[in-house]
Amino acid sequence: MSITRRKFLGWLGAATAGTTLGKTASAASNKHFSGYTQSMGVLFDNTRCIGCRKCEAGCNTVNELPAPDLPFDDLSLLETKRRTTAKAYTIVNRYDTVSNVNVKGPLYRKVQCNHCLEPACASACFVRAFTKTPKGAVIYDASVCVGCRYCMIACPFEIPTYEYDEALEPRVMKCTLCYPRIEKGLLPGCVQACPTEALTFGKRTDLLKIARQRISKFPDRYVDHIYGENEMGGTSWLYLSAVPFKEVGMREDLGYTPAPNLTSGALLGVPIVAGIWPVLLTGIYAMSKRKEKIANQETEQAVAVAVEQANAEAKAKYAKEMEQVQKFKEKEIENAVKKALEEAAKPKAEEASDTPPEEADKKPSEEDS
Amino acid sequence: MRKGRARLSWIGLILIVFTVSICLTGTGIYGAKGPSESAAQKRADIIHIDSMKAFGKLERPPVTFLHQKHTEALAKKNKDCTACHLVENNRLVPQYMRLKSTAKQEVMEIYHVNCIACHKETADGGPKSGPVVCGECHKDRPELVSIWQPIGMDKSLHYRHSKAQKEKCERCHHQYNEVTKKLYYAEGKEGTCRYCHQDITEENRISLRLASHLACIDCHSKTLAKFDDAGPITCSGCHDPAQQKLIERLKVVPRMKRNQPDTVFVRTSKSGIIDPKQATRMKMVPFSHKSHEEYNDTCRVCHHANLNACVQCHTLQGTKEGNQVTLDASMHRLNVNMSCLGCHELNQRDPKCAGCHAGIARARQQDPNACQACHMADVNQVAESIQYTQEKDLAARMLDSRIPVAHTFAESDIPENVEIKTLMNQYGPVKLPHRKIVQTLSGNIKDNQLVRYFHRDQNMLCQGCHHHSPAAKKPPSCASCHGRPFDERDPSKPGLMAAYHRQCMECHEAMGIEKPVATNCVACHQKKG
Repeated sequence: MSITRRKFLGWLGAATAGTTLGKTASAASNKHFSGYTQSMGVLFDNTRCIGCRKCEAGCNTVNELPAPDLPFDDLSLLETKRRTTAKAYTIVNRYDTVSNVNVKGPLYRKVQCNHCLEPACASACFVRAFTKTPKGAVIYDASVCVGCRYCMIACPFEIPTYEYDEALEPRVMKCTLCYPRIEKGLLPGCVQACPTEALTFGKRTDLLKIARQRISKFPDRYVDHIYGENEMGGTSWLYLSAVPFKEVGMREDLGYTPAPNLTSGALLGVPIVAGIWPVLLTGIYAMSKRKEKIANQETEQAVAVAVEQANAEAKAKYAKEMEQVQKFKEKEIENAVKKALEEAAKPKAEEASDTPPEEADKKPSEEDS
Repeated sequence: MRKGRARLSWIGLILIVFTVSICLTGTGIYGAKGPSESAAQKRADIIHIDSMKAFGKLERPPVTFLHQKHTEALAKKNKDCTACHLVENNRLVPQYMRLKSTAKQEVMEIYHVNCIACHKETADGGPKSGPVVCGECHKDRPELVSIWQPIGMDKSLHYRHSKAQKEKCERCHHQYNEVTKKLYYAEGKEGTCRYCHQDITEENRISLRLASHLACIDCHSKTLAKFDDAGPITCSGCHDPAQQKLIERLKVVPRMKRNQPDTVFVRTSKSGIIDPKQATRMKMVPFSHKSHEEYNDTCRVCHHANLNACVQCHTLQGTKEGNQVTLDASMHRLNVNMSCLGCHELNQRDPKCAGCHAGIARARQQDPNACQACHMADVNQVAESIQYTQEKDLAARMLDSRIPVAHTFAESDIPENVEIKTLMNQYGPVKLPHRKIVQTLSGNIKDNQLVRYFHRDQNMLCQGCHHHSPAAKKPPSCASCHGRPFDERDPSKPGLMAAYHRQCMECHEAMGIEKPVATNCVACHQKKG
């Protein structure tokens, strides 16, 4: 039995409906995640930063990174806008701003991994090389990394970098929030090195309180916004600034939706296509196979019944015929007997002794039918 | 055949898209150009002629008109203001070539006919003249940058005017009689022009802009006709910041005569009667009106709406005319320059003061003792003094009784150098020139009357650094409070390293001290040897 065109289209329709309905149902059931409650973080206050690059040096030391081309106390590097590299997890850039009259000199921005509450890098990674730890750090496991660098594309802050210099087993490199140090109760390298506490380390919830306190205490020193409180669903690093954040090179177009939510819609299609479609199509195949099998069985059964019926009919016919034959024979015998008796009536004793052997021949033919 | 046509239409479509994109990019580049720094022409006389706005939406962009350029060009042709402005009641009318804006067509004609006629005439006589084609006047001129600054009458300028006018106040000051609908002079009721003449022209009063141009320029030009010396009559003369600086300022300005008190008790009731049984519970404030006049350039800094006593509008409960600002708020509100505390706090932003004060949260002073620096007079005592018309004397006496204290301790009591030896993992000790710092700070505020009254004792200055502990000659060391950083129990307190660095660096920044540079570690720290 073959699949008709109508049936095929019907199944296709069912499959499409299944895909779309499945997506909406999943999206509606997404649980709201507002971050680990014990998450640690760092608050960067650019009104306190003096641009000394001690944080860069501190980071370099504790992470045992290669020595930079120019020493850390060479501040001429601030003339150019830099970004993080595989050899520098954090860098400081300088911005000359004018919008806040209370700011007399330039402002600085420290760049490093923001340790998102719901990291884009982790959601883009299909081997789960990134983990958001309950302590707040987003850490990387080089042993499972396949080097696809999707994380680098996914990160809205352009943080992960790649060891392009390494011929063998290059790794994705980024700030770890000094996870091993935090676990030991130590401060992250950059925070420890900062001479002015422009970097404040603490529980993210406490940092938000501190930040709000600073804004309310010195309203003309800060813009009334804590960057990272909600950006990309919230980050473990938080920022206070004297000027609008875009003036110090920070993106203000990111929105408050966590990265995984932005991609979950499209990515939900992946398990559906990869998981549900094979099952569905196999199912459809199995169903058609089963139908064929059932049809075959039914035919066989019908044939068997028909054969049986034919057999029974034939038997009955045969039996009838045999009966008739027997009756005929009996009649013949009777006639013969009569004749014989009539003949015997003429010659009595001679013909009466021939009848018993003929009766014995008739019995086996009855058993055969 | 059909296929060929389809292909042609596709090519056409692509061509259109291409052309449009080219055009768009072209305009984009053009738009992005803007005024380049070198080509920018800074002017104080830019007028945007948009008179037609009164008759509905503008059909063309407003004309960017350079007033002074025109007066200069006309002067060369021996023409004066009347070339463009009509005269009514012996005064120039500010509108161009008309007394009133009547109808759209009429006003438009006035501009078009007269402007173009003059431009044509000028062009016939000389090489340079104004445009005669629509789009050359009706266009944005981004190359022109306005540097226009408002100008106002300050104490010095006022005195120079009243002296020149031989104290004939009525030449400028007037009141409006609602019944006769005429201006009259009321002696002793003079006030700032802008009390009545505000931003826009209202029914019975013209806008400040109109009033000042009518009156000032009229008088200046008439004076100039008689004498050599008079006030400016050109745009830049008043509105160009560079020219404003050239206006003569008297160092010592005699007090204005407007029946203002020398010393007075700040009134808390509209009637001005001080009754010991009334609801006011605070002690009364003796106020030296005279010394506040000295520190301010204009009356309107405090008297922002009229020259009456504050309580006339700002009553204890607030009134509609006082915008519901209570007497308390009118005296104590921060971030405004017309309240007492607001203005005093603005003074703290002076770099000489900001070193200490920038780090102190801008909140109302909560120390109850601080209130008594102003609220010092018992109501009964004041009521009694008024009875015997001795209010002025009592207030003056009370103000004088606030003996200014020495700013700080005797030199011998101030440690000369302090060596900071904590946290020496990277560098050697820091030698802090302690006495030099104290002396610089006290020298800065030596002549500041405000400080002399409000820094109530010798410890006050020390508390800029030695803060949050009881004032004492020997305050506790920094390390006794500041220790390990990021203490969860006291998150707003910096650790010792940050406490030192921020105290020094933020003060230097606020005071505009450029050396030592904050990033030059070895300027303060000794190298570890």
